[in-house]
Amino acid sequence: MHPNDSALHDYVDGTIGTQGRSSVEQHLSTCPSCRQVVEDLREIACAIGTLELREPTARVWGRIERAIALERDAHRSGENVAPGLQPSDDGRGPVTAGHHRRMGKTTWLALAAALLLVTMVGLRFMPGRGQAGTPPTTGETTSAGDAAQAIESELRLAETHYEKAIKGLEQIASSDQGALDPKTAATLQKNLAVIDQAISESRAAVRAEPTNEPAQQSLIENFKSKMGLLQDTVALINEMRKGNEAGAARIVSGLKQKG
Amino acid sequence: MAGSPEDGEDLLQEIFLQAYRKLGSFKGDSAIGTWLYRLALNHCLDYVRSRQAKMHKLTDTLDGDASFEPTARRETPIARLDLERAVERLPQGCREAFVLHDIEGFDHKEVGKLLGIAEGTSKSQVFKARMKLRALLRGIA
Repeated sequence: MHPNDSALHDYVDGTIGTQGRSSVEQHLSTCPSCRQVVEDLREIACAIGTLELREPTARVWGRIERAIALERDAHRSGENVAPGLQPSDDGRGPVTAGHHRRMGKTTWLALAAALLLVTMVGLRFMPGRGQAGTPPTTGETTSAGDAAQAIESELRLAETHYEKAIKGLEQIASSDQGALDPKTAATLQKNLAVIDQAISESRAAVRAEPTNEPAQQSLIENFKSKMGLLQDTVALINEMRKGNEAGAARIVSGLKQKG
Repeated sequence: MAGSPEDGEDLLQEIFLQAYRKLGSFKGDSAIGTWLYRLALNHCLDYVRSRQAKMHKLTDTLDGDASFEPTARRETPIARLDLERAVERLPQGCREAFVLHDIEGFDHKEVGKLLGIAEGTSKSQVFKARMKLRALLRGIA
């Protein structure tokens, strides 16, 4: 008589008692069919041990990052909304009493997504993640040339995304004209000009020598700086839209310190 | 446990969003990793159950696996890819218990607690899953 399934599985798992084990072993010595089952179960258990942890790809992490950022921004734009700043009936976002501006929430979320995209693209340029900065060895000259081309192509892609993010910001800024006082706007412009100059210089250095690691790092840092400034600008406009003067003052103070 | 890599990615996103929302309620009673793992597991189980409810039925037959053709046969070792595909094709009821026990390493008591089933049911589900895997991988119907 064959042992029941439970006895065979317990035998394979090593959780069967001494008596049960000798009974199963006695049966296995005379039953090729049960022996095969045990062999197969052991092989499956062994194969399960070789299963590798399936790591999410960078694309998935990027998607999660964007989703959390969108949620955070949606939460921020919904909290501390004073009477008169409640979302409009058409669901396109709060309406300020003073300016009657209508800014669709989706615009803000799209901008946040665009800014994050810039962050992600920037991260792709971290030296050491690709061929950048690795001196070519003999026989690798062609691949080094390919790498330089790939870097240049990726840089152009980054710039495209970056320009999209700026364009989004400009759209918001133009529809929110007057939200920033002239002094603050001037500070922002001054800081932006300084960063733009730095970007321009580091970009020229990278173009001249695509595998130059310090130049790449400098370009990344400048991208980050500009992105930070853009985020501050968005946050500032957002605080002003909400009528949160204290919050706006804190951001302006930070801008001046950076300047 | 999600059934496919794509579903797994969607689940991962939902888990992190939920963790973000609930982070404020984390009291530090356990390590944050444990907290996140528990949250993820509960979310996966909810997902699996809701999908089961939507399907209205849970077949324990291998009818739907007719297209599965393992690349490895009896005389060759089990290919990892075949194993992954076979696990994905397990009926959901026994896949949950199998994943938690044989892959994640929970004992039957813990699996029973997590799935809201008896310890003995966990054992029988795991055994059933293994036998189905064997049938799938070895072409034994």
